[in-house]
Amino acid sequence: MILENLKYSKTHEWVRLDEGNFAVMGITDYAVQQLGDIVFLDLPKIGAKVTEGQPLGVIESVKAAVDLYSPVTGEVVEVNAPLANDFETLAKDPYSAGWMAKIRVAGADALKHLLSAAEYQKLAEGEAKP
Amino acid sequence: MESLLATPLKARHEAFGAKMVEFGGWWMPIQYREGIVAEHLATRRGAGLFDVSHMGRFSVSGANALPFLQHALTNDASILPVGRAQYTMIPDDAGGAVDDAYLYRFRKEAYLLVVNAANRAKDWDCLTALAGAFGHVELCDDSAKTAMLALQGPDSEKILVRLVSRGTLPEPRRNAVGEVRLLDFPVAVARTGYTGEPLGFELLVPAEGAVVLWDRLLEEGAAPVGLGARDTLRLEAGLPLYGHELGTGPDGQPIPIFACPLARFAVSLAPAKGDFIGRAALSRQREAQDLLLAGDFSRLTDLPRRLVSLTLEGQGIARAGAPVFHQESAAGWVTSGTMVPYAAPGKPGAHMFRPLALALVDSRLRENDTVEIEVRGKRLSARLVRRHLDSRTPPFSKPLL
Repeated sequence: MILENLKYSKTHEWVRLDEGNFAVMGITDYAVQQLGDIVFLDLPKIGAKVTEGQPLGVIESVKAAVDLYSPVTGEVVEVNAPLANDFETLAKDPYSAGWMAKIRVAGADALKHLLSAAEYQKLAEGEAKP
Repeated sequence: MESLLATPLKARHEAFGAKMVEFGGWWMPIQYREGIVAEHLATRRGAGLFDVSHMGRFSVSGANALPFLQHALTNDASILPVGRAQYTMIPDDAGGAVDDAYLYRFRKEAYLLVVNAANRAKDWDCLTALAGAFGHVELCDDSAKTAMLALQGPDSEKILVRLVSRGTLPEPRRNAVGEVRLLDFPVAVARTGYTGEPLGFELLVPAEGAVVLWDRLLEEGAAPVGLGARDTLRLEAGLPLYGHELGTGPDGQPIPIFACPLARFAVSLAPAKGDFIGRAALSRQREAQDLLLAGDFSRLTDLPRRLVSLTLEGQGIARAGAPVFHQESAAGWVTSGTMVPYAAPGKPGAHMFRPLALALVDSRLRENDTVEIEVRGKRLSARLVRRHLDSRTPPFSKPLL
């Protein structure tokens, strides 16, 4: 499932721009499916300065550890801390209750480089082929 | 993709929603729809069904089969009667493992050696090169003639017994083997496995019977389990995986066979065993091990590190390759590690997780010692434990928390 109104990174994060230049991010449903059973989540600290394309956290499944990349540049102002102990919510509702971090960005332009839903759909389909 | 080998059950896996991956040259299911955690727990609570047809299967026969096996393998095949199996290693001259293997004796006239899929070609070359000197040894790669299934867990026996159409299952003791007919197919049955389950079977079935038997075992209540849960199950049971706990270590150096606690069961230095590949090196390792256990570190160079089980004490997961420290000194590496599920005590149907690891660490470390594992620049505390799973009381294994 890919939501029309979100922007996406090539590394399978989604981003939504809220009023006041706050970018809310999480990982896509496709990423959740690919990871399988999620068993560990390390979220960034509030106040952390994050850079587009750089790791801001780690997610681990039984199989492997995968870096979470910041889709935007800015400062983390809020994290969904309870999610680190509730992987079921992350798996069931990655686009809403499964949000991970809220990042203050300079403006709407901070999301300009990201993929549209259609572009991300194409990327995910390409990867899914054996 | 064309070059990958497929088992007779490939279409069944795909029909069951398996995620397929390349493994040791084979196209294999890593997990089915329910996922690794559900498959792990299904095996511990009921019965898991694994397609292990990718394992290499060599038959060894001929008048000199036994002298050849005594020379090429570490265990004492001369004490293996018909109806039994033994864990063994294919050693090299330096006392390292070319592979670990299981030797089965279903019949008087032939032995069956089951080896790791990824090592099949290497093992074959190694064994055929040695066989030449023995004459009258017939080695045959039977891998494609049969399929191999594993049925593991507390319900495995009651499920399997319903399929028996002639004969009886081997006596209820580990490593007992026998031949029966299941749904009229001739099947070689062994009470062996790679899950730590006290009850479990491995089945060698004719390729043409694989699908029928697979489907029926699922109908009878077994859950299909892929390679992902096979790995978490063996890790929880503390069983070595070649390429992680055997072979070459994270430092690029060969791992001495006696670094592995199971070497005790896989290597025989009895007089009846005679001379064999690596015997001198293995004798030195064994002496060093005996001294270490007595608190004497004078032979540490023969066995500098040993494989241990680690329980992580906080949040976080240690993966293969993570460095281990003891009191600020480098003490080894994690060889395998992940988060492993277990049935939550007192809460039927619920499960919890615990981060476990196997590690190759300084032989001077002892049970209950605390070490630190470096993960992404942070240090995680972990404790050496005897084992993670108690397999001694059938039908259930018990997690040791």
